[in-house]
Amino acid sequence: MSPSNIVFVLFVIAATGFFALNVQRLVGYMRIGLPDDRTDRPLRRLGNVFGIAIGQSKILREPVAGVMHAMIFWGFMVLTVGTIEFVLDGIFPGFSLAFLPTPIYRLYALSQDVFVLLVLAAIAFAFYRRLVLHPRRLEGDNLEHADALIILGMIGGLMVSYLFANGFLAALHPDAVAPEKFASHILGGVFAHVSSRTAHVGYDVSWWTHGLLVFGFLNYLPYSKHLHVATSIPNVYLSNTSGPWQKGVMKGMDLEAENAEQFGASDVNHLSWKNLLDGYSCTECGRCTAACPANITGKLLSPRKIVVNTRQRLMEKGPVVTGDRMEFAHPMLVHGEGADGGAVTVAEILDERRLLDTFITEDELWACTSCRACVQECPVGIDQLEIINEMRRHLVLMESRFPPEVQPTFQSLERNGSPWAFSAGDRAKWAEGLEVPTMAEMVERGEQPEILFWVGCMGSFDDRAKKIAVAVARILTAAGIKFAILGQEESCNGDPARRLGNEYLYQMLAKQNIETLDRYGVKTVLTSCPHCFHQIGNEYPQLGGNYDVVHHSTYIEKLLADERVPLGDGDRKTLRIVYHDSCYLGRYNDVYDAPRDTLKRSLPVITLLEAPRSRDRGLCCGAGGGRMFMEEKEGKRINIERTEELLATGADEIAVACPFCMTMMSDGLKAKESTVPVRDIAEVVAAQLSAQPRAGQRIS
Amino acid sequence: MRIAVCIKRVPVMDVKFRIAADGKSVDETGLKFDVNDFDLWAVEAALQLKEKTGDGEVAVFSLGPDAVQEQIRKALSMGADRGVHLKADGTSADPLSIARALAAELKATAWDVIFFGRMAIDSADQSVGPMVAELLGLPCVSAISSLEIANGRGTAKRELEGASEIVDFPLPVVLTVDEGLNKERLPSLKGIMAAKKKPLESKPAPINGATVNVVKMELPPERVGGRIIGEGAAAVPELIRLLQTEAKVL
Amino acid sequence: MANIFAFAEQRGGELRKVALEAVTAARTLADATGGGEVHVLLVGAPGIGGKAATLGAHGADVVHVCEHAAFANANPEAAAALAAALLAQLAARAGVFAASAEGRDLAPRAAAKLGVGLASDVTEFSVAGDAIHVRHPTHTGKVIATLALTGTPALFAVRPNVFAPVPNAKAGRVETIAPAADPAASRVVVKELRGGGKAKLDLSEAPVIVSGGRGLKAAENFKLVEDLAAAFGNAAVGATRAVTDDGWRPHSDQIGQTGRVVSPDLYVAVGISGAIQHLAGMRTSRTIVAINKDKEAPIFKLADYGIVGDVFEIMPALIEAVRAARAQKH
Repeated sequence: MSPSNIVFVLFVIAATGFFALNVQRLVGYMRIGLPDDRTDRPLRRLGNVFGIAIGQSKILREPVAGVMHAMIFWGFMVLTVGTIEFVLDGIFPGFSLAFLPTPIYRLYALSQDVFVLLVLAAIAFAFYRRLVLHPRRLEGDNLEHADALIILGMIGGLMVSYLFANGFLAALHPDAVAPEKFASHILGGVFAHVSSRTAHVGYDVSWWTHGLLVFGFLNYLPYSKHLHVATSIPNVYLSNTSGPWQKGVMKGMDLEAENAEQFGASDVNHLSWKNLLDGYSCTECGRCTAACPANITGKLLSPRKIVVNTRQRLMEKGPVVTGDRMEFAHPMLVHGEGADGGAVTVAEILDERRLLDTFITEDELWACTSCRACVQECPVGIDQLEIINEMRRHLVLMESRFPPEVQPTFQSLERNGSPWAFSAGDRAKWAEGLEVPTMAEMVERGEQPEILFWVGCMGSFDDRAKKIAVAVARILTAAGIKFAILGQEESCNGDPARRLGNEYLYQMLAKQNIETLDRYGVKTVLTSCPHCFHQIGNEYPQLGGNYDVVHHSTYIEKLLADERVPLGDGDRKTLRIVYHDSCYLGRYNDVYDAPRDTLKRSLPVITLLEAPRSRDRGLCCGAGGGRMFMEEKEGKRINIERTEELLATGADEIAVACPFCMTMMSDGLKAKESTVPVRDIAEVVAAQLSAQPRAGQRIS
Repeated sequence: MRIAVCIKRVPVMDVKFRIAADGKSVDETGLKFDVNDFDLWAVEAALQLKEKTGDGEVAVFSLGPDAVQEQIRKALSMGADRGVHLKADGTSADPLSIARALAAELKATAWDVIFFGRMAIDSADQSVGPMVAELLGLPCVSAISSLEIANGRGTAKRELEGASEIVDFPLPVVLTVDEGLNKERLPSLKGIMAAKKKPLESKPAPINGATVNVVKMELPPERVGGRIIGEGAAAVPELIRLLQTEAKVL
Repeated sequence: MANIFAFAEQRGGELRKVALEAVTAARTLADATGGGEVHVLLVGAPGIGGKAATLGAHGADVVHVCEHAAFANANPEAAAALAAALLAQLAARAGVFAASAEGRDLAPRAAAKLGVGLASDVTEFSVAGDAIHVRHPTHTGKVIATLALTGTPALFAVRPNVFAPVPNAKAGRVETIAPAADPAASRVVVKELRGGGKAKLDLSEAPVIVSGGRGLKAAENFKLVEDLAAAFGNAAVGATRAVTDDGWRPHSDQIGQTGRVVSPDLYVAVGISGAIQHLAGMRTSRTIVAINKDKEAPIFKLADYGIVGDVFEIMPALIEAVRAARAQKH
C-alpha cells in the first residue's frame, strides 16, 4: 500500500464514521416523536417509491425545474455506481468495474460521461435560475440561498473533478479510460498538450478533489436542507400522502385513553417520527407554498415554513433531550429561515421555547383551508397538513385557543348539531311538497330504502343549497330510486369541528350519527356535500361506522350512464361551462371525472372549459378547514382569486359539486358584480329532466 | 378570593317549543340543555377573577333536579373548583322562592363575590341575583358589562338604555353579568377530564312559599315571514303604518 | 279600593318615558282592582319635584317626592329601601316598576325586602279574583307564560314600549317624603353617568338595528343606512360579512355567524340577500323588514315586511317617513 493509499483509506474511515455518527444523531432526534406504524402494504409503498421518488412524477409536474431536477437526480443514481468504483479504486488501487460483462461495462462507461454532462448542464441552469431568474417559490419565508449555492457548487465540483481526473488519465494513459467515456477523451485530447508531469499533478489534484468532495458532500448533508438527498426515498416509502389507505384522513384520537396528558401537538415530541422525518426531507423547494391558496392570497401561512420550522425546532430540542452533546453546534444545526440559533440556553429550549408560538404562530395555523394542495404537490411525500391539524388540535383541546368568531360555530354544533343555530326540527323543510320520506316514516311503513340521502347542514338550512338538495331529490325520484332522509335525526357530520381541532366535539357528533345510521341499518349513503362524503365514508370507520358512501356526482353520473334519468332535449344551446373542483371530492377522493361526465352526459351541447388550475391542481374556494366559519381579514379573499380565474375562462356558467364551493363562488361572483350563474351539477341535470323520456331511453 | 357562581340549566333555544300536556310548562322531550348563556359569562368572570388574584376558589351552585349536575360539570370543566348541587324536584316561577333556597346555602360561607347571570333565558327573570343580595344583606350591582376588582373594592359598568353608568362598590358583593363582559372559554379536553374528578356535592334544597305560579303557557302566533308589502318607494307609507300599528315598534 | 304603587324613573333630572309607562300601567291596574289610588315614587336631585305634575297628568293620584343630592344618579340601595317602605306604608295591592336597566335592578330588591312575589317583563295584566294575572314572554319570546301573583303587594316590572303613556289627569297631589335609608350611605355608588341618548348604541342593546349589505354598492352609500338609524333615534348600524370584508364598515359592525348575534325589536335589512351566514346572526329579531331589489332573495322568506325595489329610491323615502312619524309622536 502506498502512503497516499493509506491516507485515503483513513480518510474514508473517518468520513464514513462521522457520517454514521450524524445519521445516528438524526435518527435519535427523530425518535423523540410519537410512534406511527408505516410498515404496512410494502408493495404499495414500493410503488410510490418507483413512481414518485425514482420516477420523479411529482417533480415533473413542473416542466422546466422538473426536468432540471430529474437530470440531477437520475444523474446521481447513475453516477453513484461510478463513485463506488472510484472509492474502491482508492482503497484497492487499480480496482475497476471492467470485470463486468463487456456490453454492460461499456454501457456503464458511456452512462457516466453522458450523465456528468447532463448534471453539469442542469447545475448550470440551477445557478442561473437561482441567481438570475429568482423564481417566486424560492423566495420568501426568509430563505437562505447560501446552502443551496454551496450544494450546487459541490455537485458542480464533483462533476468537474470527475471529468478532469478522467481527462488527465486519458491524456496519460488513453487505454485506462474506457473509450465510451467520450467526454473524458475529448478533455484528454486537450490535456495531451501539457507536460506529463503537469498531467500527473493535474490527475492527482482532480482525483483528490473528487474524493474530498464525495465525502465532504456526504458529511455536509446532515447540516443542510439537502439532507433530502439521503431521506427522500425512504420518506416516500414511509409516506401515506399518496396512499396506501385513504388520503387525507385525519389521525384517530383516543379521547378516553387512561393517563393521556397531551392531545394534539405544541412541540416536536407531540408529532410522529414521520412528521419529523418530513422535516429532514424538505429541501425547501416551495412547491407546497406555491400551491397554497392561503399563501397565494397573502396570508401568513406557508406550508414550507411549517415543515422547516418543525425541523428547526427538532434540531434545537433534539440535541438537548437526547443528550448527544451537540448543543454547541446549535447555530449550525438550526439553519434556515427564521432561525435565531445564537444565544439560546438549554433552559430556554426546554422551558420557554416550543414549536407552537416560538416558531409557528396561531394565525398561520388558522389560515389553512385543509385543501391538500401542499400535500398533493410535495415531491417527497411530506404531510404538511398533518402537522397543521395536530397543532390545531392542541390549540383547541389543550389551550382553548381559536379565533373568537369560531365560538358560535362550536356552540351551535354542540347545542343544535349544526354549525348554524337552526332548529333540527326544520331540517326537512327543504323537502316540503316533494314527498321525500324520512327514515323513521319508512321504517314505520315496514320499508327499507335503497339509499339514504344525507342532506347535510347546508342542504338543510342554506337557502341556496336547499335548491341543490331539491335537485338531487328530483333526480332520484325521476330515476325511480327509493330513498329516504333522516330529517331531524340528522346532525352535522362533524367535519368543521374536526378540521378546527375540536376532536371532542367531532367525536360527539360522529358517534351520535353512527348510532342513528346503525339503528336504521343504513348501508348506502348518498351525500350532496363532499365534506359529508369524505367524513362519513373515510373517517367514520375510525369510530366504527362503516357505510358505502357515494357523492351525488358519482351517483348521478352512474344513473345517467345507465340511462335511468329521463332527460329532455333541452334547448340545444351550446353552453360553455367551467367546473370548479371541490378539494374534498378531488384531492381527498380522486373524484375528478364524475362531475365533468355528469355535465357532458346531461347537456346535449356543452363545451367543458378548464381553469388553469384544475383537477388535482384545483384552487380551493376558501371554505374548507373550518374557514367557512372564520373571518378572512388578511390579504385577498381566496374566493375572489378563484372566481376571477374561473371568469377568465370566458365560461357562460360555473358548475360546482359542493355547497360550500357554491357559497364561496356565489359570493365571489356578487363581489365581481358578475351575472355569470353558478349551479351545482345536480341542478344542471335536474333542469334537463323531462316528463317525456328521450327517444330510446330506458326508464326503470 | 372566595367566589361563588350560581348557574341555571336551560333548554337550547334554537328550536320550536311545544307546550306540555299540563298546559303550564314546556314539553322537554327532545330538548337539549346547556348552561344559561349569561351564567356561562358569570362563570368566566369568576374564573378570570380567580386567575387574576392568583388564589382562592370558584364554587358553582345550581338548583334543580339531578340533571343540573351536567351543567355543573360543564362549569367545572371550564375551570371552577367545586360544585354544589342544590337538589330540588321542581322549579318555581317565583324568583324569590328560588333566591331563598340559594341564599340559605350561600350564607354558610363568607364569599367575596357571588356571581349570577343577568337573566335566565328560559324564564326571562332577572331577579334572583339582586334578591339573593338583599336576603344576604350584601351590596349588589346588576347587569355589569365591565369589571375591575382591587383592594377590596370594585368598579363596574352597567349598560342603560342609551347610556351607561360606572358603579363603585365594596366587597363582598353580588354581581350579575350582562352580555359583553366577556366571552366564555371553551372547556379544554384537559378541563373536561379534570372536571370528572372535581368534588360535586349534592344536598336537598326544597323550594317553598311561591306566591307566583304559572297559570298557563302558550306559543305566540307563528311568525309568518315572506310577506312582501309592495314595490318601490310607494310601499313606504304602508310599511310605516304596519310598524306603528301591527309590529308596534315605531 | 287598593292603592297601587309605581316607581318613576328619571335620568339627569328628566322623567324617562318608562316612568310614564309605569304610571299608566299602575293606573290601569288601579282601575281594574276597584279604582284605588296610584301612588308614585319619584326620587332625584333637589328640584326633581318639578316633574311631579307630568306624573299627575298621566294618572298619579299622589306623587311622593324624595329629593336628595345622592339621588341625582341611580341609587338602587336607597331607592329600593324607600320603595319598600312606601309599599308597606301604603299597604299597596301592587307595585309597578319599569323593566328597564334601573327598574330590573330595583324591583327584585324591593320584592326581597318585602318578601313578596315579582313578575318581570310584563306585557299584559288582568285581575282574576284575589290574584293578578300577567303575561310575559319566556324562552326568548318563543313561549308566552301567564303567571298568577297571589301575594300582597304583588310587584311587576313592565316591558318598555308596551304600556303607551296615556294622559289621564288626576289631582296629582305632591307629598315630600324623607329617605328610608341615608342615600349618601349607600354601599353601591353610581359615580358617573356616561352618554345620553345620542351615544352610539351598541348592537346588542339597540332596540332597532338598520343593517346594510352589498346591495348598497359602495361604502359611501352606507350614509343611507346611518341616516335611517338616526331617524329611528334608538337604532344601531350593522352590516353583512361581505361589507365588513370589503372594509366598507368595521368588523365590529358585522352581524352573522362570525360576527354579532342580535335580536332587536326591529331589524331593517337594506340590500341584504340573506346568506345563511347573515341569517344566523339576526333571525331571532322580533320584527324584520327587508328591502332588496331581488324578490327571490332569501331574506324575504324571513321578513315580516318586505319591499322589493331599488334601495336608492326606497331609502330616502323611508328615512323621511320615519322622521315624520317620530316627529308626529313627540
